[in-house]
Amino acid sequence: MRNIKATLIGSLMALVLFQSCGGEAEDTSKEYQLLGAGATFVAPLLTAWADAYRDVTKGKITVNYQSIGSGGGVRQFLEKTIMFGASEAYLKDDQMEKVKTETGGIAFNIPLTLGDVVPTYNLPGIGQGLVFSAETLSGAFLGEIKRWNDPKIAALNPGVQLPDLPINIVHRSDGSGTTNVWTHYLSSVSATWKEKVGFGTSVNWPTGVGGNGNEGVAGVVMNTPGALGYNSLVYAKLNNIAYGKVINKSGNTIDPSLQATSQAAAVAIPEDGRIMVTNTSAPNGYPVAGFVWGLVYENMEKNTAIPTKDAAEQVVKFLYWVVTDGQDLNESLNFARLPKEAQERAVTMISSLKWEGENIGQKVIEKVKSRGF
Amino acid sequence: MNLAYRYTRDRILHLLFIFLTSLVVLPLLVIFGFIVWNGLSSINLDFFTQELGSPARAVQGLPTGLVAAVLGTVIIDLLGLALALPFGLATGIMLAEYSDNPLAGPIRILVSTLNGMPAILMGLMAYALIVKNTGGFSGISGAFALGFLMIPIIARTTESVLRITPWQLREVAMSLGLPRWRAIMNIVLPAARPAVITGVLIAFARAAGEAAPMLLTAFGNNYLNLDLTKPMDTLPQRLYSLAISPYKQWHILGWGGAIILLLFVVVTFAAARGAARSLEKRTEALKFDEDKNV
Repeated sequence: MRNIKATLIGSLMALVLFQSCGGEAEDTSKEYQLLGAGATFVAPLLTAWADAYRDVTKGKITVNYQSIGSGGGVRQFLEKTIMFGASEAYLKDDQMEKVKTETGGIAFNIPLTLGDVVPTYNLPGIGQGLVFSAETLSGAFLGEIKRWNDPKIAALNPGVQLPDLPINIVHRSDGSGTTNVWTHYLSSVSATWKEKVGFGTSVNWPTGVGGNGNEGVAGVVMNTPGALGYNSLVYAKLNNIAYGKVINKSGNTIDPSLQATSQAAAVAIPEDGRIMVTNTSAPNGYPVAGFVWGLVYENMEKNTAIPTKDAAEQVVKFLYWVVTDGQDLNESLNFARLPKEAQERAVTMISSLKWEGENIGQKVIEKVKSRGF
Repeated sequence: MNLAYRYTRDRILHLLFIFLTSLVVLPLLVIFGFIVWNGLSSINLDFFTQELGSPARAVQGLPTGLVAAVLGTVIIDLLGLALALPFGLATGIMLAEYSDNPLAGPIRILVSTLNGMPAILMGLMAYALIVKNTGGFSGISGAFALGFLMIPIIARTTESVLRITPWQLREVAMSLGLPRWRAIMNIVLPAARPAVITGVLIAFARAAGEAAPMLLTAFGNNYLNLDLTKPMDTLPQRLYSLAISPYKQWHILGWGGAIILLLFVVVTFAAARGAARSLEKRTEALKFDEDKNV
């Protein structure tokens, strides 16, 4: 019994000790911990932003971002358990409606960066850079083009000795923003796909096997000769998986790159930020790209995860930093920079964020402009 | 049926037992070896002192470590134990000592059911009760989730241990005029102490390895945080997120985390085993006394 008592008292003392530590730190030097969660794809960049922002604010602001997937990010954002969400799929109409009735304001989908999805494959003896078109990709994923030496694929790749292998389609088995971008592209280039399958974070695949997460798809692709899947560009690069080029709407063959992705998104952005930029009409834009959005409530006090106005202002400040100074970090980490139009729209959205009716967005941005971060 | 035949049969069976045991133990040793082989290179001072931060740190070779996860696991697990202990013990005592109470039957079934429930459901309960009502993910909600997980384990082991404590102890205590509760608290529980501790430590080790409930409660944190009202990191959950990341450096760090978690659990179980040993000695002593009395 003595031992049990000792354990109990010890734990309680630890609790009291740690709690008082945290409390003191917050009172004296105004340190804040901001909490965000969502898309796995953007986690390397968001955590790097957090590292850098901590330095910018001299260690006072810590941004904790947990990658729980786009679906999870949207879910927890709507549950109001996180200060901001991040997602590769924008909020659906009914979700926007729900936010409107619950909070009296809109949910902003603020562009943070861009994601690009590339076709990845495993063909013995054939390296990087096989050319795909809208027709061959949708054909293969519909199961209509069945073999790699199909004349349609061969015609795009003169001089490449395509093997007589079946095409093994690999797709994500979990709900994923990457799938959303990929299927949205297929829907916008193929009427059959749009009608039969449609787009979303998870769909009913006409053919192929599933893998869990980017790593799951990559694993199956790397172990299956003849496999054709899709991954984020940064993931394919980091893991040395062969990926292809895609012919865009203007007929140009685009080698996936950060610049090509940024160009794809150089379009006017609607007020709530919800726009898909797949199958872009930009002549040098990569056609399978999409925004990653930061999710925040216009009326920030309605989010129970944000306790005070001060905390809300820190969220605003961080988001503003992300879409301005923070963008300088993107390309060094293999993420695309926001094009000018998207950046302007993001700043407009951030500047209209409110706390109990007071326009704190504008106030914070003006303060930053005069005094810095 | 000569003697030689009987010896041979005995030897064959003996070998069979050794073979079957090693069939179970060998893969376990291979797993241990594999984890140590892969992760040992990441265990250094930075591992215990640095925050994880972004993967860019690991990729560029900047200092990075799992201090948040190591400390978080210990704090949340200890706190969970502190929360579970009174309830677990009380339930165990109630089931063993007051089994005549009409509530005992239904409670026993409930405890067994809870014992078999997937851990994530405990996380979900903590999410619904604590996270949703306190405005967000926090270390304390993680402790509650682990506490919920530990209560039925502690209750179950306490009950079975008290049941095998010699009945004479209670008779003697009460014959000397002690009330029932005093007999339990001052005589029966101390006699069973080592075994109760074993049960508690098993619950503790079991909870330390749970990742699923943490996803919904403590939530994870790439930075060190000792404020229990904010999200905290734990090793099992961090292992999961490191393992599914695309970075080799993070994979190695994850293996390192697995070594530490394994050590934590092995040490706890060793302590439990030690406690159980001392109980065996005690009961033997008691039996000896009984024999003498007869």
